[in-house]
Amino acid sequence: MEICRLRFPSDHEQLTTNLPMPHEIALLNNCLIVGALLFGIGMIGFASRRNMIVMFLSIEIMLQGVSLSLVAWSRFHNHFGGQMLVVFIIAVAACEAAVAMAMILALFHQNSTLDIAVWRRLREANVPPLREEPLPEPPADPPWPRLTPAGRRPEISPEETDYRPRV
Amino acid sequence: MDTKTLLILIPALPLAAAVLTAVLGKRVLRAQSHLPVVAAIALSFAASLLLVFQVQERIERQAGQAVPAASVGCEGTLATLWCWADVGTISLGDNPTATSKSLQSPAWGDLRINITLRADPLSAVMLAVVTCISTLVAVYSIGYMRGDPGYWRFFSYIGLFVFSMTMLVAASNFLVLFVFWELVGLCSYLLIGFWFEKPAAAAAGKKAFLVNRIGDFGFMLGVFLIWIVYGTLDFHDTVVDGHTAAMGVLGPSRLAHGPFVGGWPATAICLLLLLGACGKSAQFPLHVWLPDAMEGPTPVSALIHAATMVTAGVYMIARCAPLYAASADAQYVVAAIGGVTALLGAIIAITQTDLKRILAYSTISHLGYMFVALGTCTLVGATAGMFHLMTHAFFKALLFLGAGSVMHAMGGVLDIRRLGGLRHRLPVTHWTFLIGCLAMVGVAPLSGFWSKDAILLAIQQRTASDGASDLFHLLFATSMLGVLLIDFYTFRPFFMTFHGPERIPPEAGDHAHESPGTMTGPLVVLAFGSVVVGGYFEWTHGFSHFLAASPSLAYLSTPTGDAAAAAAEHWSIVAISTVIVVVGIMATAILYLGNRKNVTRLARAMDIFGLYSLSYGKFFIDPIYNALIVRPLLSLARLAAWFDRHVVDGLVDFCGAVPGRLGAVVRPVQNGMVQFYALVMVLGLLVLVVALLM
Repeated sequence: MEICRLRFPSDHEQLTTNLPMPHEIALLNNCLIVGALLFGIGMIGFASRRNMIVMFLSIEIMLQGVSLSLVAWSRFHNHFGGQMLVVFIIAVAACEAAVAMAMILALFHQNSTLDIAVWRRLREANVPPLREEPLPEPPADPPWPRLTPAGRRPEISPEETDYRPRV
Repeated sequence: MDTKTLLILIPALPLAAAVLTAVLGKRVLRAQSHLPVVAAIALSFAASLLLVFQVQERIERQAGQAVPAASVGCEGTLATLWCWADVGTISLGDNPTATSKSLQSPAWGDLRINITLRADPLSAVMLAVVTCISTLVAVYSIGYMRGDPGYWRFFSYIGLFVFSMTMLVAASNFLVLFVFWELVGLCSYLLIGFWFEKPAAAAAGKKAFLVNRIGDFGFMLGVFLIWIVYGTLDFHDTVVDGHTAAMGVLGPSRLAHGPFVGGWPATAICLLLLLGACGKSAQFPLHVWLPDAMEGPTPVSALIHAATMVTAGVYMIARCAPLYAASADAQYVVAAIGGVTALLGAIIAITQTDLKRILAYSTISHLGYMFVALGTCTLVGATAGMFHLMTHAFFKALLFLGAGSVMHAMGGVLDIRRLGGLRHRLPVTHWTFLIGCLAMVGVAPLSGFWSKDAILLAIQQRTASDGASDLFHLLFATSMLGVLLIDFYTFRPFFMTFHGPERIPPEAGDHAHESPGTMTGPLVVLAFGSVVVGGYFEWTHGFSHFLAASPSLAYLSTPTGDAAAAAAEHWSIVAISTVIVVVGIMATAILYLGNRKNVTRLARAMDIFGLYSLSYGKFFIDPIYNALIVRPLLSLARLAAWFDRHVVDGLVDFCGAVPGRLGAVVRPVQNGMVQFYALVMVLGLLVLVVALLM
């Protein structure tokens, strides 16, 4: 896959213009490919998963892909604007992560679930809900061998019994 | 106190009391709300009496000096309060000076409205009558309205009414007159609809207001026309440094030297003003509101709808008498309308069964008499009309208050078929009511006798004077017929209510006793007035001499003729009318004190010609108006409402619906799936990228 066409300049061109060196172009290509892959993976992850935290991670991955492309172009042009932008992106992403996690926590408190599909009820009134095909039943557990109980019944600490998954 | 102070005090006191009661009545004064208003009106009455004496003094002084102005009467005292409107000189057309010269009024185009009050005999008499009746009615209301939740509201309205009415009769400018003309109409509306929870009262108030609007519209056009023709709206001359700077419409200099515009403008002005008077004074064809106005509290019926406000039209025509003198046609119309109304009211009153409505129709009839008297447009006629106005104020207020006393005792029942023999239960009411009846039909020494005969005499004199004698002969005949009818419609309810077997409706409960002193007191005073007023003024000739000194009336011609023949005619009229009265009362007594079956027989006999149903159905004027005016207007209004609802509103709704519908098309996109949103975003981005790269 080639993003920038590789072309070897003639001697004359080498002398008169300031074309980048071939290895710089190769580096740029590779970086852009990795960035695009990260972006695509994040996008697919976001579109296909229903767990809010995983979706959030996917967004972060997309962001990193974009950041990588920016750094690559920055190096290619020998210009630090791109890298400065990436530093900003990292700072903003940290804030965004804090906000997003707070929001996810709030949403979780509402329903005790991280499934984003629950929030389909926020759709416009009078719009029929999307038909959801039931997932195929997971294959039943294989018959595990049963052992005859032996020894002393383990004591379960009150910390464990009092544990509440919800606040 | 000098005249100007008195003149300002008379309207100012009731206004102050009305404002005070309106502000403090609900929370502070409560059951004492009558105090400021009654006190203020009584003081106004005292001031009015003082004013009358001062005006009288002034006339005598002028007569002694024999100044030329005496020939057109006493201009009276003017009190200018402030300038209400000053538009300055308006340039009209290319050459305003030429136009104004042609109309001989130097101030033409200079619209300047001063709030000016005048004290001449005419307004002094009206002020005295208005405040006198108002005082008595206000005292009566203390007892009648006691315990009503709107007690303070009632007295506040009464104060406002007295203020408006005194301003109306004291105003010296057509526009100011019109303003207070409207204001008394407003008070009338407020007081008719005083018990606005009652649908009939609310409807009656609305009807009175709307019918009066028709008359007021005519009045307004008349005022505009006066301004166009005469160039001023003031009654009085504007005097600067001792000489007349601008002639008023009814000022002494115009009265002395003219000119009064004749021809069609004069007739138009007079007829338009007459339309206003017809509305306010309940003359045919605008009389329909007055009987319905009886839905209001009875003191209001007595004060506003019998004694004072409805006479505003009579006062106005008397005030504008010089204008009517300029148009013979207008005089005939005034007289004819008065005659028709007098007869119509009398015929309808015969068969009604509601005591207050009978009195209302008799008021209409008596106002018709006053209009006939004014329509003769002679000095005798005008003073007779004003004289009748005054005596009528006394005995009609008395009758209404008596009816109110009956109503008070009978738990609100006024249907005379359900009452009977109340003379033992309500002795004071019975005797005072009897005096009122006798005064109204005109039994010899009581007040109605003198004023009614004065009117008959004025009509009789007019028959001799000029070409329209046919009309006045006819009016004389109908007036005589009216005298007979008065007997019948006055004594029929009297006998049915107070005589015969005792009948008390169940609504009365154990309340069927004489009214408290605050109510019977005014009755006695009014009865005394009804007996004395007419005779006193007639024997002394004080009233006609006094009134004749007011500038408007002094202008009117006094018939020149054989005094001895006139006196003989007078006595013949007195004799005829007295015979009619006595016969009428006796016939009524025989019919209603004897076997009542004769009454039914008589009614059935009259019904052969349809007379009975015509009278009982009030000549079907209300249904006719409903069919000719109300229904078409209602249909038009419904059409307009339909157009508004479906076409105009439809257009607006359509404009609102378009964005809504457009939104509905794309609304399913918002399906609540976050992944779907992300996908759409990516697709949009792709489309953008592709579009940019292409």
